[in-house]
Amino acid sequence: MITMSHYLTFSALLFCISIAGIFINRKNILLLLMSIELMLLSVNTNFIVFSHYSNDITGQVFVFFILAVAAAESAIGLAIIVSLFRKRNSIEINLINKLKG
Amino acid sequence: MDIITILFYLVTSVIILSAISLIIVNNTVHAALLLVLIFFNSAILWLMLKAEFLSIVLVLVYVGAVLVLFLFVVMLLDIPVRKNSNQKLYLLFSVVTSLVMFAELYMVIFYHNFTNEVNIITSSELNNTYQIGLMLFTDYIFSFEVTAFILLVAIIAAIAINMTEKQRSLRQDPGKQILESKKSRLRIIKGNKL
Repeated sequence: MITMSHYLTFSALLFCISIAGIFINRKNILLLLMSIELMLLSVNTNFIVFSHYSNDITGQVFVFFILAVAAAESAIGLAIIVSLFRKRNSIEINLINKLKG
Repeated sequence: MDIITILFYLVTSVIILSAISLIIVNNTVHAALLLVLIFFNSAILWLMLKAEFLSIVLVLVYVGAVLVLFLFVVMLLDIPVRKNSNQKLYLLFSVVTSLVMFAELYMVIFYHNFTNEVNIITSSELNNTYQIGLMLFTDYIFSFEVTAFILLVAIIAAIAINMTEKQRSLRQDPGKQILESKKSRLRIIKGNKL
């Protein structure tokens, strides 16, 4: 019998794997964006699990909004990456120091 | 062991293994294809949780649009595959951090004991898409409009960031004006050469 704890454990595991992905792939900005997508996926799974087991549809409405905002975020992020690559011919994170922050 | 249990363990193990290989693979194209696999299996998982509308939306919007955009950018930019140096320290640090985080989250899940908290009433007379639409267009109509505006802003921003300036444009470029020197603009001609 699959209970709520199974789903929540799976979701926590996926979130921790993507945290490790952000540490490991800190040079490659595209893999960083993919790790962020994985995190959003695990959070959405959490929302849907709670929505299913509490018999309340509001969680799924929230997942709908999160999906829309995440699509907008990745579109703008990829546009920034393309523009950066055209200007500097590389997308390495440690070379992005134009703003001298 | 019923079919749902087998399906759950199959799908989650595929997702976890693909996620682990996604974060350690060096090739970005392989990573994008692994992300496609992860999203498909997550759609199956959401279907098991009776969220049919969102599972179809995940396949259509994410696999159909966002991941194709990822693949397009990866292949457009042609990033050289390169081994990272000085990786051992970061690998150790990431493993320790994620293990600590997972231990904390698992303690919360285990001691709270979510197993038999609520009884499931699955027999609803409305289907999933109808219920979401009902909520979306009554209680959350303002949030829905804001989401539409966010998507519009994303379209405009993605175009405006990548728009190249035209040659015929009369816009003045301050950098080019500052770099202009006297020698390139002014030529002294002696009178007898005319």
